[in-house]
Amino acid sequence: MAEQTLPTNEWPANGGPADLIAPGRKRLGFALMAAATLGLLAVIALQILYKSEVTTLGFESWQPVVYAYVLWGVALGAGQVLTRGEDGQRALFLLPALLFTIAMVIFPTLFGFYIALTDWNLSSFAGRRFNGLDNFWQMLGDPYYRNALFNMVLYVLAVAVEYVIAFGLALLLNAQIRARKFFRVVFLLPLMLSPVAVSWMIGKSLMEYRFGPAATLARHLGWDNPAFFSDPIIARIAIMVLDAWTFIPFMMIMLLAGLQAMSREVLEAARVDGANAWQTFWQVTFPLMLPVSVTALILRIIFKLKLADIIITVTSGGPGGATDSVSSFIYREYRDRSNVGYGTMLAMAYLVIIVVFVTWLLKFANRFVRNVN
Amino acid sequence: MRTGLYEQLIRAGATRRDLLKGAASMAALSAASSAGLGALTRPASAADDLRAQILQVPGVGKGQPTDADFQKVGEMCLGATKASVKPGEFAGVELTFMGLNNQNLHNVLYRGFLKAWEDYTGAKFNWIDLAQADYNPRLQQAIATGTVDFDVIEMGAPFEGDVCGKGLASEMPDWVKKQIDMDDIVAYLKPPVGTWNGKQYRVTVDGDAHNFNYRTDVFSDSDLTAAWKADSGDKAGLTEWGVPKTWQQVQAVTKFLKGKKFKGQDVYGYLDAPKPWGGFGFYFLGSRASAYAKHPDDKAWLFDPDTMKPRVNNPAWVRAIQDVIDALPFEPQDQINADPNQTCFSQFLGGTGSMLAWWGDAGSNAKTSDSSVVGDVTGFSILPGSDDVYNSKTGKWDKLASGPNYAPNCAYIGWGVYVMARVDSDEKKKKAAWSAAAHLGGKDLSLWCAAYPSGFQPYRNSHFNIPEWVAAGYDEAFITSYLKSEADSYNHPNAAIEPRIPGIFQYYSAAEDILANTFAGKMKAQEGADAIAAAWEKLTDQIGREKQIELYKASLGL
Repeated sequence: MAEQTLPTNEWPANGGPADLIAPGRKRLGFALMAAATLGLLAVIALQILYKSEVTTLGFESWQPVVYAYVLWGVALGAGQVLTRGEDGQRALFLLPALLFTIAMVIFPTLFGFYIALTDWNLSSFAGRRFNGLDNFWQMLGDPYYRNALFNMVLYVLAVAVEYVIAFGLALLLNAQIRARKFFRVVFLLPLMLSPVAVSWMIGKSLMEYRFGPAATLARHLGWDNPAFFSDPIIARIAIMVLDAWTFIPFMMIMLLAGLQAMSREVLEAARVDGANAWQTFWQVTFPLMLPVSVTALILRIIFKLKLADIIITVTSGGPGGATDSVSSFIYREYRDRSNVGYGTMLAMAYLVIIVVFVTWLLKFANRFVRNVN
Repeated sequence: MRTGLYEQLIRAGATRRDLLKGAASMAALSAASSAGLGALTRPASAADDLRAQILQVPGVGKGQPTDADFQKVGEMCLGATKASVKPGEFAGVELTFMGLNNQNLHNVLYRGFLKAWEDYTGAKFNWIDLAQADYNPRLQQAIATGTVDFDVIEMGAPFEGDVCGKGLASEMPDWVKKQIDMDDIVAYLKPPVGTWNGKQYRVTVDGDAHNFNYRTDVFSDSDLTAAWKADSGDKAGLTEWGVPKTWQQVQAVTKFLKGKKFKGQDVYGYLDAPKPWGGFGFYFLGSRASAYAKHPDDKAWLFDPDTMKPRVNNPAWVRAIQDVIDALPFEPQDQINADPNQTCFSQFLGGTGSMLAWWGDAGSNAKTSDSSVVGDVTGFSILPGSDDVYNSKTGKWDKLASGPNYAPNCAYIGWGVYVMARVDSDEKKKKAAWSAAAHLGGKDLSLWCAAYPSGFQPYRNSHFNIPEWVAAGYDEAFITSYLKSEADSYNHPNAAIEPRIPGIFQYYSAAEDILANTFAGKMKAQEGADAIAAAWEKLTDQIGREKQIELYKASLGL
């Protein structure tokens, strides 16, 4: 098979058919792409000049630029086929996805970085103004942002506890227990609920100070004033518990899948060798589950870094910012204060922090799994 | 009450306060004027019948109104529309309405009210429903990005600078002014409110002021009376147990009630709302501060009008912040996590706490909401006063010769319905939009809104006719107390009026975050106030100081 497919793959790459393309067709292709590119640039330049009130010629909205981009994409595709033949046709498979990604991900991200460098309050009479790194310096001195970042560290650390519980539950559901399928579905239910619904049902009803069943139970257990969201430490723990309740099933289901995929022979061999349950878990199950565990942990941490909905609904970041997350703080800055420029800077800085942190985490996890195994 | 009669009585020397004393005093007063007497004794007109009939839908004390009731009321109040619009005249017109759906009110009612209007005119409404906290950002974004995607909007006067000032609203045609009887609206909601550069834009549908809601049973309880008498603590001049008249007394009573029992349950005093609420929570500090900060000789109380320098860190505001800090340990245990929604609808109406500053919703829901347990034991007054008031010009606390300083907080100035300029290019659509707005702001419909849970409070002189409310099933003492507190707030000579300046909710929201930290003990009152002032200064520079000064002065009538 390999011998047969290799030449087929290589043949067009060697440029054989491309050489067969007539120079006139190539020229037409290049001309088409050049014309489309010039057209697109001209429309963009015209629109920028119009919006900057340099010229009076332009369009009311940016929609024509989008149309020009689509036309440019079509011309680019046609140009590829004309200039590169079959290679160009292959490129057509990739090009739409690439252009879509540029339009929907890369451009908005770059535009977001630009917005982060502007002073843009939606109520401002002057509108948007470029202000360089002012937002960045402001962010460095912002105690509310620092506080939210610190809370995020605590929230992320709580994932370790969630992992232990999720692993325990996964082991339980993997064992031969009665009504196993029923429990698997029941344990998954919290994950199916919207965090906002969880916030209302649990945070604002079950845990309500006056009539909430959780508060009543706590009173019966001897806690005089079971206010779950009044003391900074208790409020933080309460938010962690709410979030954990929602997302432990997510980790649990991944770990359960890992446990079920594990070879029975290995476990049986361990038992034959005389290992008890404790030893089997630590010497066999846990190391074999490490890759799944790492995946579950990393995904969970990424989810955790975006924690906002429960906090916004239950505490609005209080008391005194004790439960504020970066996302809930950005939400207030952006939404309540219409401070688009600064809010975007906070979001972009957080994006960079997340990317760096998750990249480091992946490398660290890879090394860790390799060393253990 | 008919406007003509009302005006005659006023000309005859009656004050609004007199009018509110009920039908008996009205009859006595009108004896001074034969025309007034004649008017009072005339046979009931068709209009009066209609008002009486709509107030029986579903009837006070007969459960919360449903969509069927909203539709019925909308249909009964369609007379004015039928007089100005032919059946099916707006066939094919589609309009979008943006408003709130708080507590299942506002838009939820409007849908029902407009059902008969849609059936009659042939127009169709699409709805953008927003939660209170989502409202400001949604509107701000639409304005800033030029993406106004609605034709009619329910909007508060604080946004008039943003919307009308930027030419986004449609000017009200004269026929609408006639249809909704603009003259009937209470004085403080008349222009400049609702106007911009002399043009009228707003169909007022609501009047807003914070009044003081208290538990009549708590303040007439004999055990508490005895305990108060025996109490040796600071009573701030409240010698006999009763409803506090000043914030100093509110503080004393709140501290006194901690640990006391009433009807076998813990009883609490004042309910603060320290948790941020999308900027709206700042009004509640404002209500505590207005008596300290709003001097009768000075129209301004939030900023210095010449410089926009914040006054929020002056001794008056700091005292109000300190009051909250001092009171919180004496309020329910989880009060730090309570927002205004909770203090009113969960706590006060649910029977927790004995004093609350809120908009009139607390009163209109007390009797008619299914979840209220305090309908028969709630009394009302204007906000408490203060023994002394801070004079920003001299930097000293003044004691007024007239006694305590009162300054009702006319927070938000009420909702209005506005038509957007984007309908102006299409005459049919424009007429349809204004007809719908006029229907929603109609005189009779508004009476029903004021009497039942709707999210809207009384705002017309004709809303203060107590016999109408009593005939609808309201207890006379209750409704007299409620309407008096509203009217006295609206008409108070030292009322603290909301500034209609762009970005006002950004100021409030920034303050809320800092206040949350201050109330949680992270900062002292003065430090928190200074931080708010610094944030406000920055915001003013960001939005544009000169323009803000100009608009702030205009909003104060300077």
